[in-house]
Amino acid sequence: MSTFPFFQALQNSEIAVSIGQSNHLYGVVAQVFHIAGMVLILAPVLLVNLRLLGAGLINQSVPQLVKATNPLIWAGLLFILFSGIFMVAPSAALYYPNPAFWLKFQLLALALIVQFTLYRKVTASEKPNRALAVITAVVSLALWFGVGIAGRAIGYVAA
Amino acid sequence: MTPTDFLQQLQDSTLGVALSESIYMYPVVEGLHLISLVFSFGLILLTDLRLIGFFLPTVPVHDVLQKLRPWLIGGFVVTFITGFLLVFVNGPSLMNTWVFPLKLLLILIAGLNAVWFEIKFGRRVTEWGYHAKSPQGAKIAGWISLATWSLVVICGRLIPYLNGH
Repeated sequence: MSTFPFFQALQNSEIAVSIGQSNHLYGVVAQVFHIAGMVLILAPVLLVNLRLLGAGLINQSVPQLVKATNPLIWAGLLFILFSGIFMVAPSAALYYPNPAFWLKFQLLALALIVQFTLYRKVTASEKPNRALAVITAVVSLALWFGVGIAGRAIGYVAA
Repeated sequence: MTPTDFLQQLQDSTLGVALSESIYMYPVVEGLHLISLVFSFGLILLTDLRLIGFFLPTVPVHDVLQKLRPWLIGGFVVTFITGFLLVFVNGPSLMNTWVFPLKLLLILIAGLNAVWFEIKFGRRVTEWGYHAKSPQGAKIAGWISLATWSLVVICGRLIPYLNGH
């Protein structure tokens, strides 16, 4: 099955149709969870990346900040995932031709790859290599902020 | 002059018209509003969680407050400026629902709470900040801040959703 028929099938699925026909309030709740999830991911990412840049909570070690913020990031990812499915499923075919939608997921894929490889490796060290720390922070912040901006742009880019 | 008249004047001003006529300005301003929100709301959220005792309990409160303050305030400056510009563009339609007036009220409450915290606890934070557990009043201020700013962001997200722009 190619991608577009999948999006159509998703939109026409029983669960997606029932979400689409449900109370307007559910859409509002999904929006609220989506932005809460965004903040729960981006605030810790910002805190740790500032620390990698030598700013913010400099009296704490990078691994200490990572350990403290990881539960927030995981909670945020759960919020984002479920609210995101809830938002896309009822109008999947509408999102399909939107370039901002695809850009968002490309950036998200890159952000997650960096998060679980480079970022994880660099932040595991008490004293990461200075240059590598700066590069990691810049790349990570650019990708995560990019995901947020592309997400907001979905509403502007005419399908 | 009613709030609606005032918002109409802002929208009809040179700045309001210029912002509306540019294809790129509105998304750029809204993008900046979103990014700066991570600095302002995101960092105040972490600070509130420390005050309440849920986050980094072994780190002194004054360390968190002082080290994050420049980033947090920088974030708030950009959030407020871009928010002000968004008001110029959206104009009277902001009064279509109760969401925008409620958001302004919540910002006022959050601001007053921050001032109250600063006067009552912030000035002598080095006396109590080493403890994982904050004084009762500081903890309450943390909860009020967390609740009001969260509601501000929720209201903000609902404006384009409920008011239709």
